[in-house]
Amino acid sequence: MSTMALAPRVVALVLLLAFLLAPQFFAPVFAPLTHNGAPPIYTQASLLDLAIAHLELVALATVGSAVVAIALGVLVTRRAGAEFLPLSRAIVNIGQTFPPVAVLAVAAPLVGFGQAPTLIALFVYGLLPIFENTLSGLQQVSAAVVESAKGAGMGGLQRLVKIELPLAAPQILEGVRLSTVIAIGTATIGSTVAAKGLGEVIIAGLLSDNTAFILQGGLVVGVMAVLIYDAMTALERIVLRRRGVRR
Amino acid sequence: MIELENLTKRYGDVDVVSDVSMQIQPGSFTVVVGQSGSGKSTLLRMVNRLVEPTAGRVLIDGRDVASLPGPTLRRGIGYAIQGHGLFPHRTVAQNIATVPTLLGWPKAKIRARVAELLEALQLDPGQFAAKYPDELSGGEQQRVGVARALAAGPNILLMDEPFGALDPIIRVKAQDDVKAIQRRFETTILLVTHDMEEAFHLGDAIAVMSGGKLQQYGSPEDLLLRPANDYVSRLIGSSDRALRALSLKTARDAAESGDTDGLFPIAPDANLRDALAELIWRGADAAAVSGEAGTPPRRLSLRRILALGRGA
Ligand SMILES: Nc1ncnc2c1ncn2[C@@H]1O[C@H](COP(=O)(O)OP(=O)(O)O)[C@@H](O)[C@H]1O
Ligand SMILES: [Mg+2]
Repeated sequence: MSTMALAPRVVALVLLLAFLLAPQFFAPVFAPLTHNGAPPIYTQASLLDLAIAHLELVALATVGSAVVAIALGVLVTRRAGAEFLPLSRAIVNIGQTFPPVAVLAVAAPLVGFGQAPTLIALFVYGLLPIFENTLSGLQQVSAAVVESAKGAGMGGLQRLVKIELPLAAPQILEGVRLSTVIAIGTATIGSTVAAKGLGEVIIAGLLSDNTAFILQGGLVVGVMAVLIYDAMTALERIVLRRRGVRR
Repeated sequence: MIELENLTKRYGDVDVVSDVSMQIQPGSFTVVVGQSGSGKSTLLRMVNRLVEPTAGRVLIDGRDVASLPGPTLRRGIGYAIQGHGLFPHRTVAQNIATVPTLLGWPKAKIRARVAELLEALQLDPGQFAAKYPDELSGGEQQRVGVARALAAGPNILLMDEPFGALDPIIRVKAQDDVKAIQRRFETTILLVTHDMEEAFHLGDAIAVMSGGKLQQYGSPEDLLLRPANDYVSRLIGSSDRALRALSLKTARDAAESGDTDGLFPIAPDANLRDALAELIWRGADAAAVSGEAGTPPRRLSLRRILALGRGA
């Protein structure tokens, strides 16, 4: 990444950290958005704690989505699993079309309030991008390459690990990245079922008609999403280059 | 020796390979030729068990290939295909090292073998070993594909239209390289192609397939001079059959004793097609073919060449 592209990201990161560590410092910026002397900065809980809890939730859910979706993608592209392709597609698609709020509504009475229903909603919602990308990544590996790997005497697992997954990795990782970003945004709804996270700030703003709260909650979530997306892209490039998949 | 015994492969209710039996001599260059869809690839893939036969069996040096696990069998047989199938995320050296690595060779031995093969295929190891496949020309990729197939020193090399993706000029060079490699490593090659020209250029023995059936299996001369049926003669084509037949014979075979004073010389290894062209070009009626050490030169006349050509 060139300095030109890096500079605004570094600035954004510094501002984000400064805001999370010392939010009161930014009070004058948000003050014009409040009326009737309402507080310009959310103080019910530490913003840093909320951000960390938010990201923990996202990380846990996305790792879960990735493991299940990649495993499913691998399964249905094996000869023995091919017949499950339509079924898996249908299930994963339903997961994506079912609104996360509805998942929360269904899950909360079953597993209780807090992190658990939110995790379930994010997990289900994150499956589709990873599954579809795994599928197309694996299907895109050239037939001649797979044939050569077989012809050289590689077994099924060796072929998968040494040839197919590395070649499909750029697309699989793109799916993981997409799911992560979607989850960072979607996790805000967890606060409706009392999951700790940045949604709390936004909801507090909505309830007390405090635009400053809504904006600071939204900004932190948005900036985190952009920075994490970029960081994952950069990391991906390094890993793929090291493995010869990208140059 | 590779023996195919009553090999049949059925997909649905179609026999795409139908009761094929043939014996492939060790060290030979055998070419299976036929139109697209005639079952050539399926036949070839039954030898290394990428396809399991519906009926019949394949023996290599008397041993049924079904007695070995597929991957183990395939590590002992070279396989090169159209469009090379090189692993795009691996360097040339890593690609060539595929089978030796699977076999657990020590690193130093692999490195030496990779260098040896690159040199044999006229690719400078210093220049090419660390390159990736997409940094090579089509001809170079094809050669690396062959090097990979030969890496563990297999006795048998299976090739499925290996030159199909090359343009005509590079193709002839690639064919000659493979032929030279075959002589050098004494590999038995079984090659599949739809190109009759290629079959005649490469094959010591040619098998003609059509509709899954083996139509004829024999030497190039056999096919030219004694086609087994109309299909084979049509496939070979009649227009330049005489010239083809001439290209299979050498000046040494055709020369007769006689007066050679003042005749221009022709190499004993030259084929009669080239000799004929040379005679026409020089406006001569005969040429002198030098004899074996100590024997006098012999005479190769236009009349003699034409007589042999008519026999075709
Ligand atoms: N796995 C398969 N399933 C069904 N039909 C096949 C399969 N593989 C090959 N065939 C059919 O068998 C016939 C012969 O194929 P192939 O051996 O590839 O011919 P060739 O190499 O001579 O072009 C073709 O009609 C092809 O469609
Ligand atoms: Mg074929």
